[in-house]
Amino acid sequence: MHRSAVVVTTLAVVLGATVAHGQTLSGEYKIGLLEPLTGPLAGEGKRHLEGYEIVRDMINERGGVMGKKLVFTVADAPDPTAAASEANRLITREGVKIITGTFSSRLCGAASEAAARHTVIYWETSCVDPRFNKRGLTTVFRTEIDATGFGWYNVEFIAKHLAPRFNMKANALKIAFLSEDSSYGQGVTESARVRAKQEFGMQEVAAEYYSFTSINDFTPIITRFKQLNPDVVHHIGYTNDAPLFWRQAREQNFLFKALVHAGATGYGSPDFGRALGNDANGVFALLEPGPGFRLESLKPEGQKLEREFREAIQKRTGSYPLGGHQLAGSGLWLLKVVLDRAKSDDLAKFRDAVMSLDLPVGSMINGWGVKFDEHGQNSNARVQHYMLQWQNGQLVTVWPEEFTTNRAKWIPLGAWDARK
Amino acid sequence: MDPARRLGRAQIDVFAQLGVSTVLLGGIYALIAVGLTLIFGIMRVVNFAHGEFLMLGMYTAFWAYSLWSLDPYFVLFVSIPLFFGLGFLTYVLVMRGVIHASHNVQIFTTVGLSIALQNVALVVWTGDFRTLRPWHSSVVIRVFGTAFNLSQVVAFVIAVALTLALFAFMKWTHTGRVMRATAQDHDAATLMGIDTDRVYRLTFAIGIACVGAAGVLVSPLYAVYPTAGLQFVLLAYVVVVLGGLGDMVGAMLGSLIVAAVEVLGSYVFGVAWKEVFYFVLFIAVLVFRPAGLFGQRGAETLGV
Repeated sequence: MHRSAVVVTTLAVVLGATVAHGQTLSGEYKIGLLEPLTGPLAGEGKRHLEGYEIVRDMINERGGVMGKKLVFTVADAPDPTAAASEANRLITREGVKIITGTFSSRLCGAASEAAARHTVIYWETSCVDPRFNKRGLTTVFRTEIDATGFGWYNVEFIAKHLAPRFNMKANALKIAFLSEDSSYGQGVTESARVRAKQEFGMQEVAAEYYSFTSINDFTPIITRFKQLNPDVVHHIGYTNDAPLFWRQAREQNFLFKALVHAGATGYGSPDFGRALGNDANGVFALLEPGPGFRLESLKPEGQKLEREFREAIQKRTGSYPLGGHQLAGSGLWLLKVVLDRAKSDDLAKFRDAVMSLDLPVGSMINGWGVKFDEHGQNSNARVQHYMLQWQNGQLVTVWPEEFTTNRAKWIPLGAWDARK
Repeated sequence: MDPARRLGRAQIDVFAQLGVSTVLLGGIYALIAVGLTLIFGIMRVVNFAHGEFLMLGMYTAFWAYSLWSLDPYFVLFVSIPLFFGLGFLTYVLVMRGVIHASHNVQIFTTVGLSIALQNVALVVWTGDFRTLRPWHSSVVIRVFGTAFNLSQVVAFVIAVALTLALFAFMKWTHTGRVMRATAQDHDAATLMGIDTDRVYRLTFAIGIACVGAAGVLVSPLYAVYPTAGLQFVLLAYVVVVLGGLGDMVGAMLGSLIVAAVEVLGSYVFGVAWKEVFYFVLFIAVLVFRPAGLFGQRGAETLGV
């Protein structure tokens, strides 16, 4: 068979399939997709890619974007230099007008800077560096909250959920802050410190930073914390140090009422549960919704979307959606919503569409809502985040209570071997 | 202040705990540094890939435990010949070619080896943080208000034993004497009929066997991941410089000093300061006692 014949046959099959699906998409709309697909961040980058692909297929089954089939040009960004040069390549060679990505806070700054030089829209779904949209760029948008938003939610949880359950006033709580010193850890911790003190008058007994690349022993810190006797330990940890702190706190019999973390690293990573098994019981981590999430608590359209999203994830990966899937998926879906409204990728029209969106909590995947500020940042209160707790080897959703069937346990945490 | 309050029970417990933490952490550092000081001292090669061999040791223990439920203390006996062989092979394939080249070339080579090994681990075993939990890693020993982990005690005991064994080996065996002779004067040693290539091969193999064993011993205590070695390797250099190149007992004492600075500094001033303190110490030693606190005289002139 001639090659052209093969091509024609293939095209016919593809077109046939498309038509059979009942869609009339005229042509393709291509966006750039930048994720770390090799190097140390690759695991999470690939999970994001999976999330994007699943939602891309959902979008195309529902009429694509601006009447066209949504397609990706995928580029690998293992480090900031590659992120910037690949962003350039996507724009100059592939001609994309919109770039989306990029799991890590190390990457989004460099890549979006490069995109801004070409006035190309940078649609960030995951990175949480607070500096991302504080550079006066009109081309950057972020669907997820930034690190300071995590601090905001953590303090909300401590003041409004934990304090009453300890039978304490928020301003009587003694809180010790411990954090790894990356921009993420500092962003979360500093915003939590400010809110805890100014809004709720909590008593800060310590604020310690360390480098997760060189911490080998927490016993000096734990020894000091034991003397300070905090009610709550606010610990933003990375994945090697969180299990070390927890193990050594147990060895030293350091007793406190709760430990609260934020994000998918450290206590929020499945590696933490694997490392500690049931000894992990009781730890809180702020994340996207996990097991126990009540779909019925969302708005009808949000429920429908979330259900279909979960089915698609289940079909493709055989598992519950993971953080990477949820961030990438909800971010891409929101991009579709904006493009449907703007009907254009022209920056001014696109920006107007973004700013005009006003959806309540529960409208979208993850139960999120939408309300962007002039810096291109979605609002803390709308991007609903959830407190998850390690309960017998599983990280389950426990707060806000209206969104979940599970309840937070071990409040206050009892003796170390009584958390069963 | 009233003396009873100043040295109350609680304060004594705190200082006892800090003392215990220092000794146990020092043991872990010594375990890692001892192989480095051997290679550094005898071959005058800065092995930047040292941390990656530690990481390979950790993975060996992890896989042996998760695939065949082998306890790390059993794996230790297997790992010593295994890493001896790996060190031997690395010398023959990589180090032999650059052993007489300039230090720059050696640095480039070992840094290259380090990055290559990290990425091999990343490709083969992914970037996941893995942990093994043999029974002894969750056994807590409590003595007089101090608490510590059984795996850490074992690591410390083996570190001391290993240091003493290497010290004795270097001091009292023929091979040890030959190795020291080669370190002192490579050319003269050659003239005396010493096969220096063989000495280097052996030195490198022993050094890697030590760090492989260290990796197995620390695996119940720390997460295993492709760049786990970086967590310790910088410290190992500080220890080696402090203790003096090629000085086993110096490495042990240097480790305890670094651990003491780290533990006390973290307790009193906060953990963010710990690296400031021991690098100030590091620079001070280089400036005032370049041969190390306990190092052989003239070591600094041997060009490291």
